Amino acid sequence: MNSNETPPADPAKELSAECPAPPASADPAASALKTSRRDFLKAGGMLSLSSLMGTGALMAQSEDAHAAAEWAEHFQKNYRLMTPEEKNEARLRLERRHSQEYGKQVTVDITDAQPGMLMGYALNIRKCIGCRRCVHACVAENNQSRGSKPGEKIEWIQVLRMERGEFAKDKMNHGYPEGLGIQVGGNAYTPAGQVLEGQYHYQPEAVPEKDATYMPIACMQCEKPPCVKVCPVRTTYREADGPVVIDYNWCIGCRMCMGACPYWARRINLTSPVLPKEEMNPVTHYLGNRPRMRGVVEKCHWCLQRTRHNRYPACVEVCPVGARKFGNLLDPESEVSKILERKNVFRLKAELNTFPKFFYFYD
Amino acid sequence: MKKLAIYTVILAFCGSAFYAVSAAEQAAAPAEPAKQEAAKEPPVCFESRKGASEVTQREIKPGWPNVKCSPTTGAALWYGDPYEGTVPMGKMPGLEKIPEGHALIKPRSEKLALMPMCGTACHNGVGPQFNPPKLPKDKRPTPIPTMGAMVPDLANFQHGRGRIWCLDCHHTTKRNMLVDHFGDPVSFDQPQLLCGKCHGDKLRDWRDGIHGKRIGEFVSSGKKRWFTCTECHNPHNVQDGERNRGFVQLQPEPSPQLPKGMKDAKHEKLHPIPH
Repeated sequence: MNSNETPPADPAKELSAECPAPPASADPAASALKTSRRDFLKAGGMLSLSSLMGTGALMAQSEDAHAAAEWAEHFQKNYRLMTPEEKNEARLRLERRHSQEYGKQVTVDITDAQPGMLMGYALNIRKCIGCRRCVHACVAENNQSRGSKPGEKIEWIQVLRMERGEFAKDKMNHGYPEGLGIQVGGNAYTPAGQVLEGQYHYQPEAVPEKDATYMPIACMQCEKPPCVKVCPVRTTYREADGPVVIDYNWCIGCRMCMGACPYWARRINLTSPVLPKEEMNPVTHYLGNRPRMRGVVEKCHWCLQRTRHNRYPACVEVCPVGARKFGNLLDPESEVSKILERKNVFRLKAELNTFPKFFYFYD
Repeated sequence: MKKLAIYTVILAFCGSAFYAVSAAEQAAAPAEPAKQEAAKEPPVCFESRKGASEVTQREIKPGWPNVKCSPTTGAALWYGDPYEGTVPMGKMPGLEKIPEGHALIKPRSEKLALMPMCGTACHNGVGPQFNPPKLPKDKRPTPIPTMGAMVPDLANFQHGRGRIWCLDCHHTTKRNMLVDHFGDPVSFDQPQLLCGKCHGDKLRDWRDGIHGKRIGEFVSSGKKRWFTCTECHNPHNVQDGERNRGFVQLQPEPSPQLPKGMKDAKHEKLHPIPH
């Protein structure tokens, strides 16, 4: 700041503080005023005082819950370091803010992981028909952005359509390595078998198609999540009952986790999320589906707002073929435990040692 | 002069604002009857397959519907109340551990249009040909035109590939019931007791929650709505050749958004290596 000029403080505050300096002029010649060091310091003090008063006013006012919550959120700790009282304060703040914003009673749950619970997920890969009902159920539940402009539509589940390759007779002896006589049905140059990469944007008249298999992917809730390792602000972490969650308030939007995730599970809110009032799900969890802001990363959290209260995740409930299964891995009677006991199970990219809690199976 | 200009601008601004408000009101007026019409008929969405169980959308509490239907396909997409329209499942061997009232099903009988009539109107044991009632001598199916016209599935009857017939599943004298191995009647709401006669492995998986679908509370002792066999499978044509892997085809939900700048998804259909 130039010491020759009056500090640009609030004019109203300035007058009440009996500032001796005359009002500044736009004319550079006239603006060369003689101000003493004392005057300058006095004015500076007034400026900081007025800004503090403004802060106080902003924190005290209760009509605009949005502004008050946003202001208080700047001073709130990482969710894992908050005391129960602070968590409760944050909850009340968010409930007030979102209730006002969306015009209905919004609840923000802060239920912690319960002992004796380790969530697990299983998906019958043979049964999936690729209808994408899970994708849209997830959007209906989890308050994702659903605009039409690029980057405004966020879906957490992806359904991959894979072509069924054919093992043509004339290619059968193109095996590799040839010298050893091992036939693997084609090599890198003349492949025989499944060659098309996964398709995300398939839109046939009806599914399932004869020549395709479908593979839904979402967050695998790894036990050793690469996304958690790379997070520079430690805002994403694994909860004791399984899911990997994000404290959206501490996310800086650096997208390191998106690069680290080997399952393409994370999404970023590049724009301000578009969430119509009537479509907003008012039952939310702090670490789950509460409305997100611009510039934060989000992903599947196994519907924490439901599963912490023993309800099935939304995608499990709508799967028309019953391919999706969810349960407590510590309970030998749960459906996921039974699947692990009885069926042929694999985990996606198991060689990466991420130890997902999401199992694919077939019967 | 300057002042006059300012006043003119202010006047023009106020005038345009007034016009905008009145125009908005006019636009809102014809929209209201349309809204009422939409409110008259709440959307009905199908749950697992078309033609089986359905739910009518309604609001349970403010801003909380019982179900959300897909605007594209009309399928149920989200359950606000998973237990709507359910009744206790009744006795089921192997499920004794489940607390009373925690296993629920949605009755199928209401959806079956012929159910109330079939036991009284035609298969009531009286009639010119059936007096005194006589049953078929052998198990060779005889096509009955009236029956075939009422149940179109029979024209394309595939279950068992010709090795089973009507009375293997339907009760001989009580036609509004199914039949178990002992000849005892089984309710249409409990088809698992019948289907398990042959598909024992599927019944075992269904009982453990591996096969089929359950909604509600996921813990093993929790309150769940169980989807019974016929809510997902049409028993008359389970082996339709038009299907892929046993599932009836249905319309998929819309595909995800294309990345910015991408016109279509043709690149997905290109083989990375030509062959």
